[in-house]
Amino acid sequence: MVIRMIEIKDVYFSYSDSLALNNINLSINKGEAIALMGANGCGKSTLLKLINGIISPDKGHFRFNDEEITYKKLQDSKFSKLLHQKIGFVFQNSDTQLFCSTVFDEIAFGPRQMGMSESEVEERVKDCLDLLNILELKNRTPYHLSGGEKRKVAIASVLSMNPEVLVLDEPMNGLDPKTQRWLVDFLNKLNKAGKTLITSTHNLELVHELSSRSVLFDENHAIVADMKTEELLENIELLKKVNLVDQYYHYHGNKEHRHFHDHN
Amino acid sequence: MKQLDIPEWLTDNDNYIPKADKDTFINKSILSVFKVISRIKMQDFSQSQSFVHVSLKVFFTFVLLLLLSITRSFVFVIIVNVYLLSVLSLINAESLVKILKMSLGVTLFTAIIMLPAILWGNYYSCVMITSKIFATVTSIGILSHTTRWNDITSALRRFRIPGIFILILDITIKYMYLLGNLTLNMLYALKLRSVGKNKNKYTSMAGIAGSIFLQSKEMAEDMYHAMECRGFTGEYPIYNKSKFKWVDYLYIIMNIGFIILFFYFAKI
Repeated sequence: MVIRMIEIKDVYFSYSDSLALNNINLSINKGEAIALMGANGCGKSTLLKLINGIISPDKGHFRFNDEEITYKKLQDSKFSKLLHQKIGFVFQNSDTQLFCSTVFDEIAFGPRQMGMSESEVEERVKDCLDLLNILELKNRTPYHLSGGEKRKVAIASVLSMNPEVLVLDEPMNGLDPKTQRWLVDFLNKLNKAGKTLITSTHNLELVHELSSRSVLFDENHAIVADMKTEELLENIELLKKVNLVDQYYHYHGNKEHRHFHDHN
Repeated sequence: MKQLDIPEWLTDNDNYIPKADKDTFINKSILSVFKVISRIKMQDFSQSQSFVHVSLKVFFTFVLLLLLSITRSFVFVIIVNVYLLSVLSLINAESLVKILKMSLGVTLFTAIIMLPAILWGNYYSCVMITSKIFATVTSIGILSHTTRWNDITSALRRFRIPGIFILILDITIKYMYLLGNLTLNMLYALKLRSVGKNKNKYTSMAGIAGSIFLQSKEMAEDMYHAMECRGFTGEYPIYNKSKFKWVDYLYIIMNIGFIILFFYFAKI
């Protein structure tokens, strides 16, 4: 049975004078894996902030689990805490997310606040460390870790709260190819386990493995396509139009040909 | 890399009901950092080009402040106030409200401080000082709201202020924005992960402060290395190609007029 989890209707949002979201309409079902694509500054990160309740729409409606999320409701501490537990956000820059003195404390931060006993917290942290293959980092300081390790700790710190929806802002940025591959497999596994995934990405090579459905933003901060990822990737004209890819010609040996590349 | 099976608790939803907790501190911190960042960002978006040459504007604003502080003539202060209010009426409504809010607020505060003088019958000093304060704050407000900060720093170069001082000013503004953004995102992350009762709020805030300090140190080191790689030798030249227009000459004449008026009223 299809359960509608997130519904965004006629949403507009502006930062001071600059429009960031332009008439956004989007619905996401429970258990879906969806990718938000678009050039830099098109509004992807703003939409992720809206879904996480960091900002509220200037105009339009945002519903989560059939409940309207408004600025007034977000001011209610209990309501916003419950929303933040249900929707986990992995920031683009992992450094912004890590502020505890050890990896263990970082992952235990959420469960401890949820009122779990210390033994339950330890069990959750151990499961997360195992799951992300970072058990040996348990007592390390997050600041001194490598980029890939920081990203894993950031994901573990969000997963330990067991969110229903996992929102990831450019999760592949700054990771080596091996870690990128590992992360794609890991996210797929989470999705199969029932987690709803919303990922913003530029990575055209891996997006079809990350999500079955993609939403494309243009430079006017509006959604111009909402379709199957495979279909979207074949529509090079549309990708070119939104400045996500460029077409160029070059030689391989004696053969001239053309292919597209993304603007990372 | 090995991947283990998803634990059972992660496949079920938690039946969690949060307890109420006070997080005004995080919210207020977010709001104040956001205000600072918005202010710096708005400077960048500011389309309003300064009518007069920025170097002239900076120079004569400081001359005006000097004249205001040493004048003993109430008439001169009133003339300056009338001039500043006329300038205010020409700028956009949003900046006008912000400048007036600031100047009236400071003036009101000064008036309260001066209340004992009124009670002792020293009306003249009280009115004089509050009028001077209003004019001083308004003129600085007009300068800061109608001129971009990087234009002000490059104008300072014309007054033979050492390049290293201007470089530090420029870098300070840049880092206020960069570190402000970083702080804002860290506060958002703390808010999003504060899903229950946090008994150690101040420990988390200390963690954020520590992390920002370490990152700022890293940014400073990177910048130092980048400057070395680009051949930085301590010189910080600023090239300002803007030329004087007829408005600038008019502005100079008007300000010379103020200087003449100052001496005229000083003699009476």
